[in-house]
Amino acid sequence: MQITFKVYRKDPEKDGKPGRSNYSVELDEEATVLDGLLKIRDEMDDTLAFRASCARGYCGECTMRVNYKACFACTAKVSAFTKKSPEILLDPLRNIPVIKDLVFDWDAFMWNKITAVKPWLEPDESSTNGENLLPDSTMADLRKVMSCYYCGLCDEGCTVLPVDFDFLGPAALTKAYRFVFDPRDKAGRERLKIAEKPKGIWDCVHCFEASEHCPRGIAPTERIISIRDKAFKVGITNEKVARHHTSFAASVKESGWLDEGRLALESEGLTNIKGLMKLLPTAARAMARGKAPIPYLHPKRPGAEQIKKIFEKGEREKK
Amino acid sequence: MFTHDIILIGGGGAGLRAAIAAAEQSSKLSIAVVSKVYPMRSHTVSAEGGTAAVMRDTDSLDLHAKDTIFGADFMADQDAVEVFIKEAPGELIQLEHWGCPWSRDADGRVSVRAFGGMSVDRTCFAADKTGFHMLHALFQTSQKYDNIARYDEFYVTSLLADDGKVRGVAAINIYNGRLEAIAGKAVILCTGGGGRIFPFTTNAAIKTGDGMAMAYRAGVPLKDMEFVQYHPTGLPGTGILITEGSRGEGGWLKNKDGYRYLQDYGLGPPTDTPVHRKMELGPRDILSRCHMQEYAKGRTFEGPYGHYVHLDLRHLGEEVINKKLPFVRELASKYVGIDPVYEPIPVRPVVHYMMGGVHTDMNGSAPLEGLYAAGETACVSINGANRLGSNSLTECLVFGARAGRAAVQYAAAQGAPSSQRLEALARDEQQRLDRQFLRKEGGKEKIAVIREEMQKAMEDGAGIYRKEEDMKRTCQLLRELRERFSNIAIEDRGDVFNTQLTAALELDFMLDVAEAVAHSALNRKESRGSHTRTDFPKRDDENFLKHTLAHRTPDGPRIDYLPVTITRWQPEERKY
Ligand SMILES: Cc1cc2nc3c(=O)[nH]c(=O)nc-3n(C[C@H](O)[C@H](O)[C@H](O)COP(=O)(O)OP(=O)(O)OC[C@H]3O[C@@H](n4cnc5c(N)ncnc54)[C@H](O)[C@@H]3O)c2cc1C
Ligand code: SF4
Repeated sequence: MQITFKVYRKDPEKDGKPGRSNYSVELDEEATVLDGLLKIRDEMDDTLAFRASCARGYCGECTMRVNYKACFACTAKVSAFTKKSPEILLDPLRNIPVIKDLVFDWDAFMWNKITAVKPWLEPDESSTNGENLLPDSTMADLRKVMSCYYCGLCDEGCTVLPVDFDFLGPAALTKAYRFVFDPRDKAGRERLKIAEKPKGIWDCVHCFEASEHCPRGIAPTERIISIRDKAFKVGITNEKVARHHTSFAASVKESGWLDEGRLALESEGLTNIKGLMKLLPTAARAMARGKAPIPYLHPKRPGAEQIKKIFEKGEREKK
Repeated sequence: MFTHDIILIGGGGAGLRAAIAAAEQSSKLSIAVVSKVYPMRSHTVSAEGGTAAVMRDTDSLDLHAKDTIFGADFMADQDAVEVFIKEAPGELIQLEHWGCPWSRDADGRVSVRAFGGMSVDRTCFAADKTGFHMLHALFQTSQKYDNIARYDEFYVTSLLADDGKVRGVAAINIYNGRLEAIAGKAVILCTGGGGRIFPFTTNAAIKTGDGMAMAYRAGVPLKDMEFVQYHPTGLPGTGILITEGSRGEGGWLKNKDGYRYLQDYGLGPPTDTPVHRKMELGPRDILSRCHMQEYAKGRTFEGPYGHYVHLDLRHLGEEVINKKLPFVRELASKYVGIDPVYEPIPVRPVVHYMMGGVHTDMNGSAPLEGLYAAGETACVSINGANRLGSNSLTECLVFGARAGRAAVQYAAAQGAPSSQRLEALARDEQQRLDRQFLRKEGGKEKIAVIREEMQKAMEDGAGIYRKEEDMKRTCQLLRELRERFSNIAIEDRGDVFNTQLTAALELDFMLDVAEAVAHSALNRKESRGSHTRTDFPKRDDENFLKHTLAHRTPDGPRIDYLPVTITRWQPEERKY
């Protein structure tokens, strides 16, 4: 079949302005997008830059957007993208500095962040003589997270990164999970401390885009939630988002609904004078318009007792 | 100019293991890992089936050694094999401590599975993404050491040697096109194999034999290059590998009559559950030849991508397939639209591994001072004429670590290389690149065309079955292609991510490697392991129980030989 690839071009050595080149290529039914790109480079235009290594969907090197969907060029069959029209748009990943054409800057995007979570096992040196005996179920879970390709598709889908490029992002935090939940790792709390630093787990907004994007079904968002849960369990709770969670739950448990004034105060932290001062202007304005209830003087809603029981049941079950 | 004590070229299994071994020797040493792709895109990532070592009481070092030597058709150096087998278990346990998620038995121990040519279960695995998990565990561990510096996406174009010693490397920073001199007291080549000299291969696009060619150009001989392994079960069309682990778990090979044909070639009797070294668990060279003979008898299927047979996993059931071979299921459905739970998988032999490589001793040391090599790019040799599946990942670990340690020892006694001298060598290299590629005008030949013709010549003359006249023609064609290559056209004159330049450099390297393979094959007038000649169908220990050494000369390879080291296992007929 005849396919027209419309490929994003940018040459930093020319004018550096983005544009597109069109290539019309004859491919067979089974061909992948990478086959198309290789053919273009071999036969039509060998100045076109893109990355590829294994060419079999093992390595994550040829990540790009095909008709705006982020995927691997080597596993994307052209036939899947040409049902409606014989045109395929190829672009580099979003939100990342482009170096040339389809090649973008991995370092800034992902590697530096992954290194920041100290992605290596800190083994217990006292047991180094033989193999650790471990259930396969634990290994299976680790194999699942470890099957991460470092492809960056989760970061590409992330809704926080476009707003805050310094957010560690789902790929790095998924790496953190891999070590937090490895029973052989002895770094324990230290690891959680890294993950819970500013720009870490608490900055995730749970939009689940990362999980939607991950081609390995690793569910990065769920992994971030698991690290948060674990942080709570070991008592890492004195952080703004954590306090927000705790206060939210406490309020609903006690009165059946949300005490917004209290939530604001407790999220900032009752001893955080500076933080509390910052709330004052907003609070004053809201009060003037009759919009802010007085914190803690907040009536119970009808049925609050039932709600409290649900909470208590949940707490018992969790124990 | 950058300066380090030890330079690793390659960030695959061997390179990273060597880097860690060197870093562990002393935190004062500075180590560089230079790789043309990010380390975890190295080809080790795609190894599926497993990695072998004696891990159980039911096994023994002698038995693993014997299987390896027998599999190698007695071409392996037996002292090297003994060292390899002895250090293998420690390496796998070490990797466990570095976080590799090995599959486990019910008692929590690391599981072992059957593999071709092995007499007992001794292949450890991490489901069917073993290399992936090993590479990632090594990569993660390597990040722990502050004294390991990485040069990701740097393309090494040549070794810088002076006065009979290696002093560093010249590498292009792919991001900006600058040629950098990287000085080092010792250089370890871990650049992997070169399967891409053939048209149909399981090897990644980046496996172009660069390190072999660089050593060859620096005057180091390439050893046993004629031995190229075909894996019997690749997917037609793409060459994607269906791991031997699938036969280790009990998969069957059937011809178009649904008959388990291996029983006709002395590998029987067929049994329902797998028996070590029999039938589908025979060694790869023999299984690949059986396929070709079935084809000659007209008993294979014909498809759009040529002849194929069936790999049948259906009787294993969905549970076993999901637990032990999930990736096989994924690959088969993704690439040939077949779910192995319900249908057999079409497979055919495919170029997979190079037993030969840079001539080294047991410490990875090559016959050029300061140069070491390990992994697929090296030939120690433990694989001889036919590697047993799952020995090569272990080889990357054992000999990577040994080379790392040996290089440290060597470097300790060396003074810092002269930076002036190195800058001058790098300038020479820049001039060569300018002359040959970047500033050359009027080139006519296309990279893709020459590459394709080279690959075809290799398949025609140096495939599973070889004979004199075909090989001669291939050698001739390769010479002509070398000539035509000098007239190559490079249109991309940009500095940033000039992938056309890297493609040209890779082809340049491949042409050297291909010639070494073809000439080594032409000169070996016998059949042994993977090297099968229709004109010399028998093994000839009297004349050819010796390693081939190919030396580079302007007129093509010069071949000489080196005795094979035999310790405790006298050559005997190789029967399964
Ligand atoms: C599909 C497949 C499955 C396999 N399965 C198994 C298995 O189950 N068990 C087993 O034991 N073996 C298996 N093998 C073989 C085994 O995977 C390889 O032999 C082994 O991984 C090679 O590792 P390496 O470190 O030597 O090289 P590689 O992993 O190939 O790494 C080479 C490195 O060198 C770098 N490099 C190369 N040239 C240059 C240059 N010019 N400049 C800079 N850097 C350069 C690359 O960037 C890369 O980092 C398999 C092989 C394949 C192809
Ligand atoms: S978690 Fe998934 S999407 Fe993110 S880098 Fe890993 S494989 Fe890619």
